[in-house]
Amino acid sequence: MDRIASVLLEFPPVGAQLEGAQYNQAAVQHAKNVEKLLSSQELHNYAHQLIDHVHPTDHTISYLGLLVAAHDAGRLTPEDLLTKITTFACTFDSRQIRYFGKHFSAVLGWISSGTLFPASVAVELLTTALLRLDPSGSMFTSHHLALVKLAYTTDNIDAALPILEKDIVFYPSGKKFADSRPPCDPDVPPVGYITVESGLTQKVSSSDVMQYDLLRGLAFIQRRAWRAAFEALERVVTYPVKDSHACSKIMVEAHNKWILVGLLLNGHAPALPPTTSPGPAKAYTTLSKPYLALARAFEERTPDNLRAEFDAVPANVWTEENNLSLVRLVIRHYQRWQILNMRHVYTKIPLSQIRARTQSAETGAPLATDAEVEDLVGQMIQEGMLRGVVEHPDNGEPYLRFLDEAEGSSSRSSAGAESGEKDGEGTMTEAEFAARMAEAAQRIKGLEPLVRAANERLGKTKEYIRFLVKEQKEKERAERGAAAGQEYVDSFMAQVEDEDLMMGVASKY
Amino acid sequence: MDNNLLRFFTLMDGQGYPVVKEAPRFDLDMYIGNYKGRTRFDRLILIGRSCVPLCIDALKAAIVDAKKGRDIQRYKEAVDCLQIAAPLEPEAVLDQAWINQKEAENKDITNRLLTELKGYKNNLIKESIRMGHEDMGKHLEATGDLNLAAESFMKMRPDVSTTKQYIDVAKHLVRVSIHRREWSMVTAHLSKLQGTAQLTDDEEKQLSAYMRIAHGIAYLGQEKYLDAALSFLEADNVAPTVYNEIASPNDVAIYGGLLALAFMNRSELQTKVLDNVKFREFLELEPNIRRAVSQFVSGRYSACISTLEAYRTDCLLDIYLQRHVKTIFQQIRNKCIVQYLIPFSRVSLDTMAKAFGSPDQPIEDELADMIKAGTLQAKIDLIDRLVVTMSANQRAHMQNMALKTAKVYERQAIDRLNRMGLVAAELDIRPLTAKFSAMRGMMTQQGDRMNEQLENVV
Repeated sequence: MDRIASVLLEFPPVGAQLEGAQYNQAAVQHAKNVEKLLSSQELHNYAHQLIDHVHPTDHTISYLGLLVAAHDAGRLTPEDLLTKITTFACTFDSRQIRYFGKHFSAVLGWISSGTLFPASVAVELLTTALLRLDPSGSMFTSHHLALVKLAYTTDNIDAALPILEKDIVFYPSGKKFADSRPPCDPDVPPVGYITVESGLTQKVSSSDVMQYDLLRGLAFIQRRAWRAAFEALERVVTYPVKDSHACSKIMVEAHNKWILVGLLLNGHAPALPPTTSPGPAKAYTTLSKPYLALARAFEERTPDNLRAEFDAVPANVWTEENNLSLVRLVIRHYQRWQILNMRHVYTKIPLSQIRARTQSAETGAPLATDAEVEDLVGQMIQEGMLRGVVEHPDNGEPYLRFLDEAEGSSSRSSAGAESGEKDGEGTMTEAEFAARMAEAAQRIKGLEPLVRAANERLGKTKEYIRFLVKEQKEKERAERGAAAGQEYVDSFMAQVEDEDLMMGVASKY
Repeated sequence: MDNNLLRFFTLMDGQGYPVVKEAPRFDLDMYIGNYKGRTRFDRLILIGRSCVPLCIDALKAAIVDAKKGRDIQRYKEAVDCLQIAAPLEPEAVLDQAWINQKEAENKDITNRLLTELKGYKNNLIKESIRMGHEDMGKHLEATGDLNLAAESFMKMRPDVSTTKQYIDVAKHLVRVSIHRREWSMVTAHLSKLQGTAQLTDDEEKQLSAYMRIAHGIAYLGQEKYLDAALSFLEADNVAPTVYNEIASPNDVAIYGGLLALAFMNRSELQTKVLDNVKFREFLELEPNIRRAVSQFVSGRYSACISTLEAYRTDCLLDIYLQRHVKTIFQQIRNKCIVQYLIPFSRVSLDTMAKAFGSPDQPIEDELADMIKAGTLQAKIDLIDRLVVTMSANQRAHMQNMALKTAKVYERQAIDRLNRMGLVAAELDIRPLTAKFSAMRGMMTQQGDRMNEQLENVV
């Protein structure tokens, strides 16, 4: 037992500050040692006792080893086990863990299985652990999918938001990632250490990635965060597809929801982004027909077509595609958008006129009383969808006054900030404008490390190196050619030969 | 309106003809006297179908006109109409004897022409063959078989030897295409006439006038209004006989004037319409159009609109203009309203209603439509009953644009990074291998079949 303890406390050595390659070497060795111990029966016998003597942050690798051993041996009381797992997830050292990824994944697997912890705690633990592993949140792992599945199915989205709101741009690759720096280097981007090889994530497939974004979209829909949902779904809709015919079912599903969310967010049908691959774009036009028709009808002046399009599809189709409630919401929001669009036309309008000019898509008729209109308008103002005031003059009927941007910003309720930026026309002060521009610039600057990491990563791919070699050869040939002019022309002609001379490439010379 | 007429016009309304309750300002006989050829019947029956007061007169005239020719189908068509509208009129009974006689005659002539043509072809005399085809085409046109007529005229082409003949072929084809409402064909045939050489000045002038007018009508049919206006405005005033198979000089004045008024700005109207020496001659025939244009140019918008309103009935009874009257008049109205509002920052709705109002549509609704469509930069205040014109706030626009651009840039950068990440990790969806493609081919077929079934069900 003493021997075990000494091995466990060997790393990191007390007093000595290891850096760079030394640290790397020692950590690799230590991870190997602990791995060896794990295969012995001895460790399993004592793990539950030893674990209390090892600090989870200082000796993360050892602590994790003991935790796995104790779990496998089943010697800890359930209560103790949960405490230990919690302590580990909240305090592990993000540098050491890079050397013991396999077991880290195992522990996250226990948590996300949903059997050990109540779901709300599990979601929180996973979120904390993943953010400790990669504070930038820009890297996708197999745990992300598990997290969003758990959060969405058990309705614990709030706790997972810190992860769900991050923009993911890196994905674990099956290929070996050649980085000259050791994984412990603080400058290594997450894509450098979160690899299948290190065990911090499992191999992911394209459908995992799409599922993750689709579920994120659904989670945001549940929170009625339309803009976030729209952006998440758009990532699936524009997922890169090289095949000009293929389209994933997940993409079609996302596209359907994307249209509906787009209607709720903008009041009109969204246009496919230019980055959409041609295969899916074709598939959408045929497979999403009822939704596209619904979107077209939404923009019309009367709700008759909207109702007709809704009724034209058997109700069970909406239900089977899990869109019934969303479609219902779209129909309920039809009148709201009718009222909202009036802000482009009117500055003040009596409530009775609103009643006469807009119809509810649920009943296909105007609202019954002015009071109902006032309720609806009041609701819209409160939710921040509409910027306006309902005025009750002493002698006359109540009316709605639309506020423009400048007036509106002060009375804007924080709850309604969700509905996104309005295209109001008010002028900001110079200082306010400068501040908002600076904020935007800051956000763009924040992307710099991501760009650098992507650049480094792509710079090391086989394809790029092959391209560089080719370029180098071309250059050498050109230099040789410059020395002997005729040779250059020859080499150029030789190069052009393959191309279509009708295009006139050669004629320029 | 008696019951028969009522039934007739309900039927016509259902077929998409406008129902005009007022009598037009022209006299039917004089009006139709301006035209020659098939267009006479087309115009008469259109008036019969659309105009309540002139219905019976026009239909009777149409029957008379049809009986002069040899097109049995249109005779039946006119009688059918009259039978519903006024079954008691003597003309409302089909003249079976005439029909039988004409049928036999038509058959004879067709056969005779065919034999002749065969003979010409055997003799290989180009000129005779051309004439044979021309006669055949004219005969088929007269009997109402426009499709075959066009074919016959086309067959004249290879045997044309003089410029005059070349022009004749094109004119035949243009006429038939106009009757068939094939506007793009009209343009195509006209374009063949462009740059025809070896003409005297006079001929040149006549041809260009014909082309401009035919072009204008074709553009109008294709809803290219501004092109149509320009085409009419450049027409020379030549003898109406040159083009009376398609339009009259009065028509040219109305088409050109109205379209220009709807789709040109004030300075263009001044230079291209009022100061246009060629077009002035046409305008003199329709002094009211001229007045409307000058009223618009001098800023008397409500006067301009009321002058034009008097023309609405006539326009609704015009064979080419009918379908476009609503668009064109609305466009003119919108332009007047926009121009009217330019000098003001706010105008009371009641003043607007006095200037432009009509009993059937309150002015605020029309303004709201215009604002929604983006033709008018203004907002309406229904409480204080004001129209407030909005000057574009350049500064706010710039600020919003800048912020939006930054936002879009950020989103795009993330999107591109994401794509690169996916491709670098080889997670993009790639084409399947050959074996799988074959399998997928089968599956797609099945999928198509399922789609069809689904569509049938839906």
